Amino acid sequence: MQKQKNIVLFGYGTFGRQLYKNLRSRGHKVKVVVGLDDYVEVESDSAVDITRINIKRNDDILALNVNAAESIFYCAMNKTANNLFLVLTLKSLYPQANVIANSNSNETTRKLKYAGATSVIDLYEATSRRIVNVLTKPAVSMALDEIVYKQNDLQMLEIELQENTFLEGRYVNEIKFRQMGIILIAIIDKELGYELVFTDHRINHKLDAGDILVIVAKKENIKKFQEMLKKGINFE
Amino acid sequence: MEKPKHKLLSFAYFLESSKFYNKIKKFVYDLIENDEYKYKRYFDIFMIFVILSSVTLLVMDVKRHIPHWLDDFDLYFVTTVFVVEYLLRMWVYSDIHKIIIDEYEESSYFDKEMSFYSLFTKIAKNKWVYISSFSAIIDLIAILPSYRGLRVLRVFVLFRAFKMLRYTKSLTGFLYVLKNKKFELMTLLTLSTFFIFIAGIMLYVFEGDNENPNIHNLFDAFYWALITISTVGYGDIAPVTPEGRVVTMLIIFTGIGLISFVTSIIVSSFNERLSVLREDRVVQEVGKKKKLTVVCGYGLLGRLVVKGLQKEGVEFVIIDRSEEMAAVAYNDGYHVICADATKGTIFEKLGIVDRISHVLCLTSDDIQNAFIAVNVKSLKSEVYVTARCSDQEIATKMEYAHVDQVIMPEEVAGMMGAVYAGEPVAFEVLLSIIEEKDKTHINEIAIAEGSFLDNKMIGEVNFERLRLILLGVFKRSEESKLGEFIFNPSDEFVLNAGDNLVCIGYSTAVANLKRKM
Repeated sequence: MQKQKNIVLFGYGTFGRQLYKNLRSRGHKVKVVVGLDDYVEVESDSAVDITRINIKRNDDILALNVNAAESIFYCAMNKTANNLFLVLTLKSLYPQANVIANSNSNETTRKLKYAGATSVIDLYEATSRRIVNVLTKPAVSMALDEIVYKQNDLQMLEIELQENTFLEGRYVNEIKFRQMGIILIAIIDKELGYELVFTDHRINHKLDAGDILVIVAKKENIKKFQEMLKKGINFE
Repeated sequence: MEKPKHKLLSFAYFLESSKFYNKIKKFVYDLIENDEYKYKRYFDIFMIFVILSSVTLLVMDVKRHIPHWLDDFDLYFVTTVFVVEYLLRMWVYSDIHKIIIDEYEESSYFDKEMSFYSLFTKIAKNKWVYISSFSAIIDLIAILPSYRGLRVLRVFVLFRAFKMLRYTKSLTGFLYVLKNKKFELMTLLTLSTFFIFIAGIMLYVFEGDNENPNIHNLFDAFYWALITISTVGYGDIAPVTPEGRVVTMLIIFTGIGLISFVTSIIVSSFNERLSVLREDRVVQEVGKKKKLTVVCGYGLLGRLVVKGLQKEGVEFVIIDRSEEMAAVAYNDGYHVICADATKGTIFEKLGIVDRISHVLCLTSDDIQNAFIAVNVKSLKSEVYVTARCSDQEIATKMEYAHVDQVIMPEEVAGMMGAVYAGEPVAFEVLLSIIEEKDKTHINEIAIAEGSFLDNKMIGEVNFERLRLILLGVFKRSEESKLGEFIFNPSDEFVLNAGDNLVCIGYSTAVANLKRKM
């Protein structure tokens, strides 16, 4: 179930704008922060909340008044050096902060991870896979287009199991997800630690509250499934 | 029309329409002239063998007489091979029957009688162009030693060694270098001839008059001047008078200058040519591939894509217009050509008509990518073109130019980044299956005819046992190769040969299913 998050987005270049657009369309609250002399291109009709600060100064960042525990920081500046510096600054100011940085190569990723970025998004990795897939695995590439890239009926999302749902205490293999129009791809089983496990039937997991399911399904089926979870109805 | 003319003409038309004749001629042409023809190599090797054997016989013959049969081999076999080769080259050089037809059509257009005289001069002129070409002259001279009447002609066997130039491409490259610098080299040659002339005469004036016992005539003096100016300096003729020595000192200095000049000209010319030679080699190597992907731009994205293509076993060649980037790609061990992909020439060289299947425009400059895409599409619209772009407006223009896939890295990454905010777990899943970070991948499996999945219902297939998660099926249809994507097909859905399953699972599980097919 999607939760609205508070997001601080550093940088509003080509990548930053795309991030902003996607984050907003998912209903998150986004605060954009740019450097003092960064050029920012803003569509006249959009109300983007942009703050200009000197990103090299801790005081300026502290003055943003961000509740670090409940926010996610995105470092999407155009220059790698700036991103790296930002990650360092943010991590030193808020050691527990959730910091995502963008990278353009394996080398930059390594540095950003070392600097403490929670997760790194490679600008080119997914694109390059997509290009190669078109050549070598056309079916995969089209399927991914349908599920991930195109804004259509199909969606991939994660659902955290609450207390007292009809799934509690039952095994994955017992439940006919496919009949509900849902494909369960992966779960995080609390009992097994927080590791992500794909449900390719090697292990039969027992579901409990707090487990997270990653599913792909049509919107209507997702809605039905969520209602079922809320009301505690059994599908069978 | 007179009878012989009529006969000639109908014969010409017969040749023009004869499939067999044209096929044979094309085959011979490919065999001896077409570098891209795969069997030409064997012909070249055979010719090199013939040449080497004849040169070896010449050398052996100096000290002791070679056996009779070897002499016969040299006289009959080698000569026949060379004569046949010479005639074949002359034959495939041009089509006589076409000249006849052209001549006839031209004269009938003007209502004139076709004249034998003008026809034969035309044919003779046409073939003379071949006969008088440098390589044809060498070929002809190489045949001469077979005439045993004149001993001197034996030395012409070495011209057969020259013939080898034809069969080895790198040597022809060297000749090109010399040809390119013709002007500079000629200037230097004139200059050195002038110095030799002056110095020779001076020495002759100073020492020819019985002063130097080694200088008998002007030829000796010129010989000495050449030996000295070239810094070889045998010492068989040396100046003996102070005046002669002064002349020597002067031409030694000029000589050093001239020699280093020549060396630097040739070296620099080679450097200029090196990239072309390398390019030729790449074109030749990729020319053997049937299906080729061209990657334009070896930047950050280009590198990742190339790595992926390499892993999947796709044949590709990289084009980058920056020499620096081309050098990086070269050092990474890929086929690379430093060229401007916005020009048609490079794609024509690579065989866009029958070889190139995909072109990926991945430079960091949107306009450049659009330019390349339009270039390729205008050459051949069936080629699948992928273009990278970072601006929605340019993307629209690219789509207008019928670019098959416009991809915006920022958009893709932006979408991924946004997923993280609300759904970090789904993000991990995406990262794993899209970027193939993990062992679990998304993969496709085509159903083979007569395999255990052909004509089966989904419900009958135990995907759990196969350790795979079935996402959906592409049902084969008449209109398109892949057909429509059917997400999560029901248990009653019937699979047929040609359908594609899209599954998530361990790479070993996918390989296992593919093996079962």
